[in-house]
Amino acid sequence: MSETLMRTVLGLDPDKLVACVSCGLCLPHCPTYRATEEESASPRGRIALMRAVEAGELAIDEDFVRFMERCVMCRGCETACPSAVQFGALMEQTRVTLGSQRRIGSRWMRLALKPLGHHRLLLVGSSALGVLQRLRMIPMSVQPRLGLPARIPIRRAPLGPLSDRPTDAWLYTGCVMDAWQRDVHNAALRVMAATGANVNVPDGQGACCGALHVHMGMGGDARRLAVRTMAAFPGDAPIVVDSAGCGAQLKDYGHLLGTEAARVFSARVRDVGEWLAPRMNTLRISKRFGSVVAIQDPCHLRHVQRAHLPWRIVLSAVADTAELDDDGRCCGAGGSYSITQPELAGSIRDTKVEAIRRTGAPIVASANPGCSMWLSGAGLDVRHPIQIVDEVLHGP
Amino acid sequence: MSPSSPELLAELRAALAPIRVLDSPFEKVLYARDASAVGYAPPGVVCLPLTTAEVQACVRIAAAHGRPVTPRGSGTGLAGGAVPLNDPVVIVTTKMNRLVEVDEDSRTAWVEPGLLNLDLSRQVAHLGLHYAPDPSSQQTCSIGGNVASNSGGPHCLLHGCTSAHVLAIEVVLADGSVCVLGGPEPDAPGYDLRGAFVGSEGTMGIATKILVRLMPNPPTIRTLLADFASIRDASAAVSAIIGAGILPAALEMMDANCIAAVENFAHAGLPLDAAAVLLVEVEGLAAGTEIAASEIVAQCRASGARAVRVAATVEERMLLWKARKSAFGAIANIKPNYYLHDCVVPRTKLVEVMEKVVDIVESRGLIVLNVFHAGDGNLHPLIVFDRREPGVEEKVQQAGKAIIEACVAAGGVLSGEHGIGLEKRDYMALVFSAVDLEHQQRLRDVFDPARRMNPEKVLPTGSWCGELHHVPEGAWI
Ligand SMILES: Cc1cc2nc3c(=O)[nH]c(=O)nc-3n(C[C@H](O)[C@H](O)[C@H](O)COP(=O)(O)OP(=O)(O)OC[C@H]3O[C@@H](n4cnc5c(N)ncnc54)[C@H](O)[C@@H]3O)c2cc1C
Ligand code: SF4
Ligand code: SF4
Repeated sequence: MSETLMRTVLGLDPDKLVACVSCGLCLPHCPTYRATEEESASPRGRIALMRAVEAGELAIDEDFVRFMERCVMCRGCETACPSAVQFGALMEQTRVTLGSQRRIGSRWMRLALKPLGHHRLLLVGSSALGVLQRLRMIPMSVQPRLGLPARIPIRRAPLGPLSDRPTDAWLYTGCVMDAWQRDVHNAALRVMAATGANVNVPDGQGACCGALHVHMGMGGDARRLAVRTMAAFPGDAPIVVDSAGCGAQLKDYGHLLGTEAARVFSARVRDVGEWLAPRMNTLRISKRFGSVVAIQDPCHLRHVQRAHLPWRIVLSAVADTAELDDDGRCCGAGGSYSITQPELAGSIRDTKVEAIRRTGAPIVASANPGCSMWLSGAGLDVRHPIQIVDEVLHGP
Repeated sequence: MSPSSPELLAELRAALAPIRVLDSPFEKVLYARDASAVGYAPPGVVCLPLTTAEVQACVRIAAAHGRPVTPRGSGTGLAGGAVPLNDPVVIVTTKMNRLVEVDEDSRTAWVEPGLLNLDLSRQVAHLGLHYAPDPSSQQTCSIGGNVASNSGGPHCLLHGCTSAHVLAIEVVLADGSVCVLGGPEPDAPGYDLRGAFVGSEGTMGIATKILVRLMPNPPTIRTLLADFASIRDASAAVSAIIGAGILPAALEMMDANCIAAVENFAHAGLPLDAAAVLLVEVEGLAAGTEIAASEIVAQCRASGARAVRVAATVEERMLLWKARKSAFGAIANIKPNYYLHDCVVPRTKLVEVMEKVVDIVESRGLIVLNVFHAGDGNLHPLIVFDRREPGVEEKVQQAGKAIIEACVAAGGVLSGEHGIGLEKRDYMALVFSAVDLEHQQRLRDVFDPARRMNPEKVLPTGSWCGELHHVPEGAWI
């Protein structure tokens, strides 16, 4: 945005806002529009409302905030939009403004995000939560609302195998994912090692990417976490990520911080599927996975990183795969969305579960921990695709 | 926008459900326009019924309060048809979107009006069937909106427009009564009221259920992309193909500006240095399509095509169509606003009119994209502009008028498929005499004597002219 322009109510870039031609081609790709069939929950509608506010036609009120909060930020509308409208950027800026006015993100949600940057504290806290869960001290009724997995690990296997030679690639381990899904990291490390690469993980300082903070309109926290994360990955080796949400955020640091160093950092980031696809020929694959695998593309992989295709190459080498027929529409997990908008998120998930069931595949592969947890909650057998590769290579 | 009376709101809320009657300021902004830039009018109240009975209730309550009604589907209309004028009760069909029943034997289906065109085809795909009319907006537009606009699409060249695929329509009339127009048998005795309703753009009633014809998926399809160094050559190829007795399923042309805009989005491998491309599709039994395809290749080459590519895979074919169908949406890659025209000229006059159009637009310093159904001479010149540039809107208006006049002078007609709506209402007098128009009004009055359905649309009244392009400052329509 030009510096000379006056700051508008929401601070949106007028060129981005004007780009929408209101054709509506994005509507069927928007999970919240599908769930509500109302214009207020559509990308075109949200842009129209931003315009009304920016033009001074209407003042921000509860309705406006509600309509903005109902967006999952899946960015399915971006890949559907022939006019290349940057919806994600518009919505992020809107949330930053609403967040700075304390209009979105309840106080306890903001507090809840604070520990994500303190990795050891998070691991201890998470284990404690696991203990409470086993002792049935967290009421079942509130668990889905809190976004907790069915069984929070109390003890975690150490991360490995790690290399002691110079690093060919880093594995990014993240915050909540390391606490709850360390087995995915270890599967990734085993498969990466099987390609002959020397892989390492950063110390605890690289812990949280700040994606959830951006979703909640907490821009300052997100930038602080970004600077810290970048410092944890010295050198120029690729940074491999097995969480699509974190990967999208890391790839966005260049834009978030606007520095050359951040752009260079972002250019090093690869989803593990992207990293692995060109290296598949280095693996010795002697059998195939026992059942058909339905591929569920996380939005952060398909619509944000636009890096969902490499998983086809990887998975089809080890298993029979099935595609969903919903054009990659969101499953409703969306970071903290399933917690903040439980009703809509549930109805979006129901639609996704139907699409998965139509494939007839007993196992679903999803390359994002948030989506896996959310879909597992609906009773599906969800694996990270790297776990499927790992199982074929190394057994269950 | 005027606030709706509390009694009206209370009655509507009692008849539907409170959350399906919207009247907050932000909600009204959302239903103030369609996909075109021709009108913007936040309505007093918006209703989202679930059933025919609820539609009836809305219409009756509106009538009791002396308020008109504007039906709305997905709001992809390009003629301002769903813009709520005269403070109506807006009835949105998006929640009435079920596929009610399919009759596999007779290949028909009853559907609710809010069902999306592409969703219908997908939901019957497992039966080897599809719904043939395929407007470029098919992923979003509703069957009800298609019926009201008698929409066409690339594949209507072979199969005909919406009217040829709609057998019967359940309609809620302006007084709240329900009737069924047409019927399952193809040639019902008596007047074809179904035919009168198709294309009535919401001015004769609200379609609440539609009996559509489904088509078997063709056994083979061949899709070709021919690349030309001039529009003249491409047009000659169109005439040559049709002259050779081939009836393609679709025959579409895009010019250089259009190719640049869509390739940016679809990455379909379109030739960026071509002056025009033709997208041609043939379908049918394998042997026939092969012969037709090679004949098309030959005709294109003879007309000067630089290259002809045959889509090798289903994915490649889908990508070519994705490119073609994103044309209107993709224009913001060039400029943020567009003014789209929709007129049909005799195929023999295609080149002449095209050249005139380019001349009209470029002489005013504007940019035009041409994408159209070449097979039936349906032109869609799209003028792209940035509303924020001073004086540009006037130039666009003048160019638009000159284009329409040029088409009519060449023996063309106003609308191929997008409808008259608000956009072209005041141009109706260019093609119809006063007597013609009066008879059309009388037909409309038979369905809606109080003229409460979608007022100010289709037929000229003179009252709205002054305000036609009045837009609130900064509304970016
Ligand atoms: C990108 C793009 C591409 C397009 N391509 C094509 C194309 O190839 N061919 C084509 O023909 N059109 C095309 N259109 C125009 C538009 O999509 C069609 O006119 C479509 O049929 C409108 O459907 P809708 O559901 O969006 O209707 P709306 O825009 O909501 O309404 C259109 C008109 O129908 C009336 N209406 C809606 N539902 C009902 C109902 N149930 N009963 C009675 N009246 C009703 C409205 O009052 C209005 O007058 C395109 C539009 C866009 C944005
Ligand atoms: S966001 Fe893109 S696809 Fe959606 S209405 Fe706007 S221009 Fe069309
Ligand atoms: S980001 Fe997702 S939920 Fe939000 S408007 Fe776009 S498609 Fe809809």
